[in-house]
Amino acid sequence: MYEVRFHGRGGQGAVMAAQALASAAHIEGNYGVAFPFFGAERRGAPVLAFTRVDKDRIYTKTQIYEPDYVVILDDRLIELVNVAQGLKEIAVAVVNSQKKPEELDLGIPIKTGVVDATSVALEVLGAPITNSSILGAFAKTTGEVKIESIEGGIRDIFGHRIGEELGEKNAKAARAAYEKTEVGTCRGERKMEVKKQWLPTYKELPLGAATRPMQTDAGLVGPGSFIDNKTGSWRTFKPVYDKDKCNMCRFCWFYCPEGCIYDKKEEMVFDFDYCKGCGICANECPKEAIEMVRD
Amino acid sequence: MVEKRVVTGNYAAAYGALLSRVDLIAAYPITPQTFVVEHASEFVNNGMLDAEFMRVESEHSAMSACVSATAAGARTFTATASQGLALMHEVLFIAGSAHLPIVMPVINRTVAGPIGIWAEHNDTMPQRDTGWLQCYIESNQEVLDMIIQAYKICEDKRVLLPMMVNLDAFILSHTVEPVEFPDIEDVDKFLPKYKPEHARLWPEDPMIIGSFSPPEYIQEIRYQTDESMNNSRKVIEEVNSDFAKAFRRDYYGMIEEYQTDDADAILITLGTVTSTARPIVDEYRDAGKKVGLVKLRFFRPYPTELIRKIAEKTKAIGVYDRAVSFGSGGPSWIDARSALYGYNIPVINFLAGLGGRDVMASDVRLMFDRTLEAAKEGKAKKDVVWIGTRGVEP
Amino acid sequence: MKDLPDEELFTAGHTACPGCGCPIMVRAAMKIFGPNTVCYFPANCLLVFGATYPQDAFKVPYLHVLFENSAVCASGIKRGLKKLGKGDVNVVAFAGDGGTADIGIQALSGAAERNEDIIYICYDNEAYMNTGIQRSGSTPHGAWTTTTPVGKKIAGKELYKKDVPRIMIAHDVPYVATASIGHPADMLRKLEKARDLKGFRYLQIFAPCPTGWRFDTAKTVQLAKMAVDCGLWTLYEAEDGKVTINKKPKMTPVKDYVKLQGRFRHMTDEQIDSLQEWANKKWERDSAMVIE
Repeated sequence: MYEVRFHGRGGQGAVMAAQALASAAHIEGNYGVAFPFFGAERRGAPVLAFTRVDKDRIYTKTQIYEPDYVVILDDRLIELVNVAQGLKEIAVAVVNSQKKPEELDLGIPIKTGVVDATSVALEVLGAPITNSSILGAFAKTTGEVKIESIEGGIRDIFGHRIGEELGEKNAKAARAAYEKTEVGTCRGERKMEVKKQWLPTYKELPLGAATRPMQTDAGLVGPGSFIDNKTGSWRTFKPVYDKDKCNMCRFCWFYCPEGCIYDKKEEMVFDFDYCKGCGICANECPKEAIEMVRD
Repeated sequence: MVEKRVVTGNYAAAYGALLSRVDLIAAYPITPQTFVVEHASEFVNNGMLDAEFMRVESEHSAMSACVSATAAGARTFTATASQGLALMHEVLFIAGSAHLPIVMPVINRTVAGPIGIWAEHNDTMPQRDTGWLQCYIESNQEVLDMIIQAYKICEDKRVLLPMMVNLDAFILSHTVEPVEFPDIEDVDKFLPKYKPEHARLWPEDPMIIGSFSPPEYIQEIRYQTDESMNNSRKVIEEVNSDFAKAFRRDYYGMIEEYQTDDADAILITLGTVTSTARPIVDEYRDAGKKVGLVKLRFFRPYPTELIRKIAEKTKAIGVYDRAVSFGSGGPSWIDARSALYGYNIPVINFLAGLGGRDVMASDVRLMFDRTLEAAKEGKAKKDVVWIGTRGVEP
Repeated sequence: MKDLPDEELFTAGHTACPGCGCPIMVRAAMKIFGPNTVCYFPANCLLVFGATYPQDAFKVPYLHVLFENSAVCASGIKRGLKKLGKGDVNVVAFAGDGGTADIGIQALSGAAERNEDIIYICYDNEAYMNTGIQRSGSTPHGAWTTTTPVGKKIAGKELYKKDVPRIMIAHDVPYVATASIGHPADMLRKLEKARDLKGFRYLQIFAPCPTGWRFDTAKTVQLAKMAVDCGLWTLYEAEDGKVTINKKPKMTPVKDYVKLQGRFRHMTDEQIDSLQEWANKKWERDSAMVIE
């Protein structure tokens, strides 16, 4: 049996990748199971998906805590979440990155396959959707599954969801990524900081969870506490502001869904702790004082 | 001055709300509960009760209004029956998990299908897992007294849960009998104003109630409800004694025992069948047959330890149910059997009076006879006995 | 807009998708309503992205009970507070269009009929987005959703958008208004008016959803404006039943609005014509509500 954890962002299709791998295993006569991390998924927010494969029927229904393989759809996630959680020295990583394996630091030095899946996807699909290409890299790096089976799994899962034609294109993307995958060893110097979670006993938990603002050992909870949640990490693009063009009309301040553009009287200030990079401010600026650039 | 009048169970329920000085009533009419709402409307419109009255468009909304107003810090009251309770079902859980001490008389009525309006407990029994205390009532006086006691029990900091006060359709709801009405000043002393601390939606003290919660928290919330439910046993006994001291009427708390001390066979009843069974116990005792009766006053929390003590002093137990869990047996019997695991005595289930069919003295005699027979034999001829069902041998 | 306070009663750190139209409305509404406010949320995106236990973006009291009972829960809070001598508190329900037009309409109608003293805001993003883009009564004709998929036989929603504001006007309540995040001055004025009136107040605020409508996250406000321009969303208000149109639509072609969104990508010219016809009729209907 082997277990795989996929790290992606909401909207990147990590779940479809996990399912296509299960389907690929099925094609080879194995038993493949794929499941999401059960929760509310928001676009851009870090998400998880899992695949479990064995020769025989899998009865285990628990989540995966110590995966054999970790697949990272977006190398910026390495900065955000503990991708090394539960990994052992014999684990293997597959990463979408422009860097070489040796340039990556996953917090544990393990065998690592790298492909610039974003470029592959742009080339083959015309869109930066990496969930199919990364599977090609998985086949190449791990040898657990043949690239032909990956192609079959993608045709099956993607084909049913988004149509035969797109399924075929995604299979091509996986093959292209397979050819371009480089395998080496990543570095393991990073100390991953895991955000502490507030886990009160039933007695510490306010009755019925009716909660007032409180400072806990894991930060603020209750009314107004979301301010502790730095959503800036979701960003792909960021606004660049030209003070000279700004007429202080405050439209960007008003329209910002995050409320993270502040009016400092002389200029507008952007709070990148929270900016998700939606681009509404740039789109609505009557003076074109804001431009979105790749972060 | 204490007043004594001949009134219906529905009037007693509404008057209980008046004496408890509820802040808000939200209700929707359903037979046979309508008179509760009508009387309450009169009290409010005549200025006898200073309460907000929400004449809502469904029972779902009635319970939603009570939940929200209680979360805002008010003492609330509603009443329902049957389909109305079924429609409230999903809202009931919220009151149980958010610890909102709402009190609601339920006029036990048949749940369709097919549609019927007479007494059956298949409306309240399926609500047993919603986090509500459930008390089954025998007389109109007990209805009035238990509405008042219910607020005291529910608002106790060790409990903070809602309660259903269940009375049989027509047999109590529409039957008049003498009821003593305590002075409201005496009730005020017994039941002070509700002072919410754990849950209140006040802008000067913001809190979040009922928000989307991941698995890391809900299991502890479940445990809290379970613990409160378990705590309530002690509070029920305390409130019963305080009430007995203040108003000279004792209901004995979780259960009431009648002639149980040396009984060979004991019947556990709930609701109005208890009354029918009392004189039959006397009749059997006079004939030298040692039978006893346990009135199961509270079904939630279940009086597990007390039922075990009953089992220790008898040879066989019969359990009467006015509801059935299809393919299993009566809900009260299922809990009795579970409580009595490891007790080597027969525990028989008697199902009678479903759909509001009258439970007659002869039906109750059959229950005692069958339990006595099991006491003698050391085992029951049949576990689940349907009484008075055409084509079915009891 | 210049007078709005800087303080955010709905803080950053919430987890709405990038470019979500809803928080634009919520931030503004909370600035208008102020701290003496209690909020109710049914099941919807805002429930989840506005607070996921133990965290919460709202600095004012927050209650969730269930999905279909927003109007009565808000009423229950208000009545309870009134009895406790706190009758001056604003009680606001923030429901989505599915929770309003479909499952919540019974409680909504009941609360409106009783003229409960609450503000009910429907943020209209034209589908059940929280559960993954299923059609609601408020989804427009032709739109793809996961339950109105683009199939070989049927493509998109065959039916038309349910007109809830008109249903609410029929309840004879003190205030009904439609608004859009693309028209801030108009929206803010209506939020203020709603705050200052007594009795049942209903606002339906148009708030595009880039995730569900399939468009570039930067275009949320632009699309909100275009919907008003093409007549698919009319800005009006009804005070004690008297209707005023706040902005006469330019009646730009519906096609221009449709082509920017993935949810309409499959639409044939015929389907677009049907939607255009509906927009024309809508304007006829809406403008006919004004009695000279």
